[in-house]
Amino acid sequence: MREFSSPPGPLPPPTVSEARLLSVLDTAADGIIVIDEHARILIFNKACEKMFGIAAAEAIGQNVKIVMPIEYAREHDEYLGSYIRTGVKKIIGIGREVRGRHADGTIFPLELSVGEAATPDGRQFIGILRDLRPRKESEQRLADLQSELVHLARVSAIDEMGAAIAHELNQPLTALMLYLQAIRRAHAKGVDIVKVVGEILDKAAGEAERAGHIIQRMRQFVEKREPERHVRELDPLIDEAIDLTLLGQRHRIRIDRKQGTNLPPVSVDPVQVQQIVVNLVRNAIEAAAGMTDPAIHIRTRSADGTVVLEVQDNGPGIAPEALPKLFEAFASSKRRGMGLGLAISRTIAQNHGGDLLVDPGGNGKGACFSLVLPAAAAPADVG
Amino acid sequence: MRVHVVEDDAGVSDSLSLILGNVGHKVVAYPDAESLFKAPPPEGRDAVIVDLSLPGIPGAQLVRWLLNLATPPRVMVITGQSQSFIDHQLRGLQPTWLVRKPLDADTITRVLPAE
Repeated sequence: MREFSSPPGPLPPPTVSEARLLSVLDTAADGIIVIDEHARILIFNKACEKMFGIAAAEAIGQNVKIVMPIEYAREHDEYLGSYIRTGVKKIIGIGREVRGRHADGTIFPLELSVGEAATPDGRQFIGILRDLRPRKESEQRLADLQSELVHLARVSAIDEMGAAIAHELNQPLTALMLYLQAIRRAHAKGVDIVKVVGEILDKAAGEAERAGHIIQRMRQFVEKREPERHVRELDPLIDEAIDLTLLGQRHRIRIDRKQGTNLPPVSVDPVQVQQIVVNLVRNAIEAAAGMTDPAIHIRTRSADGTVVLEVQDNGPGIAPEALPKLFEAFASSKRRGMGLGLAISRTIAQNHGGDLLVDPGGNGKGACFSLVLPAAAAPADVG
Repeated sequence: MRVHVVEDDAGVSDSLSLILGNVGHKVVAYPDAESLFKAPPPEGRDAVIVDLSLPGIPGAQLVRWLLNLATPPRVMVITGQSQSFIDHQLRGLQPTWLVRKPLDADTITRVLPAE
């Protein structure tokens, strides 16, 4: 095996055209390293200085191993030697993800593409390097932002239901207050209430509990949490979400609920799926509200390894001109709300490996939205 | 005189009846407007407490009917809904009292004092 690490002699100073070339290289955003067939660094541009924390003056003339993690460094001479001997290309002209080493010891992902040039001074290899950390960070950021947005849409839904929920809370609070005041008044008047006080206090406690449940249901829905996956039956999740949607619902509406038989479980983020259901049911109620006999049908069924939830209203259907933008964020035709609901709902469905589809209806038929979720793969996970 | 309570929420209806009963009123409770229609109509000396959000026939429609009786009873509208909802529902109707939920016993006994 040849030894590549020991330089054969000092390098000559750069010529004028080389200096021009270097200044061009230094403006490049990507790291550029040129090495000779001894793996000695000939060119180390500004981007590389920043990327690896090594000054060009210090890097030039050294073996390129100085920018590699130890385990790569050990094999690099061998790779280069093998290529020069056999001509078999492992990286040249291909490019791949490798890891680099900063002077401070940090190992980080790099995209490396290598080209080869025959020069009067012998073969040279040109490496172009891109630090992959910003891309990985932006991928992570994108995922974080998406989960923020999903949460935001939930908060926005609760915000829009705020008045209805306040009304729903008012009922148990009213009852609670009246029960307690009844006891207080009787007590103040010296009425003997021993016989009834226990019963009234029980009722009061029941009302307080009822208020607590409403808050709890709301909180579960609004609380910010990491996305998760659980293998669950879909129907109970749907029923809870319907309850939440109907809290203090002012529209009088008939809800026809049919559950499919023997539905396979689904692997889902329960709150996110409920978020879709709340959104679809609210939209359906709104769509049907103007009809003389407003009604919505909520059905589940299984089909080809999927579980399907259908929410159908008996409203006027979706106008053809609204259809292309139906699932776009902020394109809502409604006066209230952020117009996030359907866009987010579809994103959630797709993140679950499913989809959200619509039959726009019209001509006397209401719209029907179908949430399709893949059946959970391993029934053994149920629990 | 009787006090008729038309309220679908069992807890609110029961606690209201308790307070009114303790004050000495004769209370008749109905879960909706339909059941009130089936009973003998309220008399002019009666009071009717109507929840604005009723299942079936809306509270506002019941209020209109009551106020149009030959000898209309006093009508107290109770509601936990927003002002815009109330305005929209009542459009032009003038109930004797409008009380927002949560209710408290003092308000109720002030407008419907012991006999």
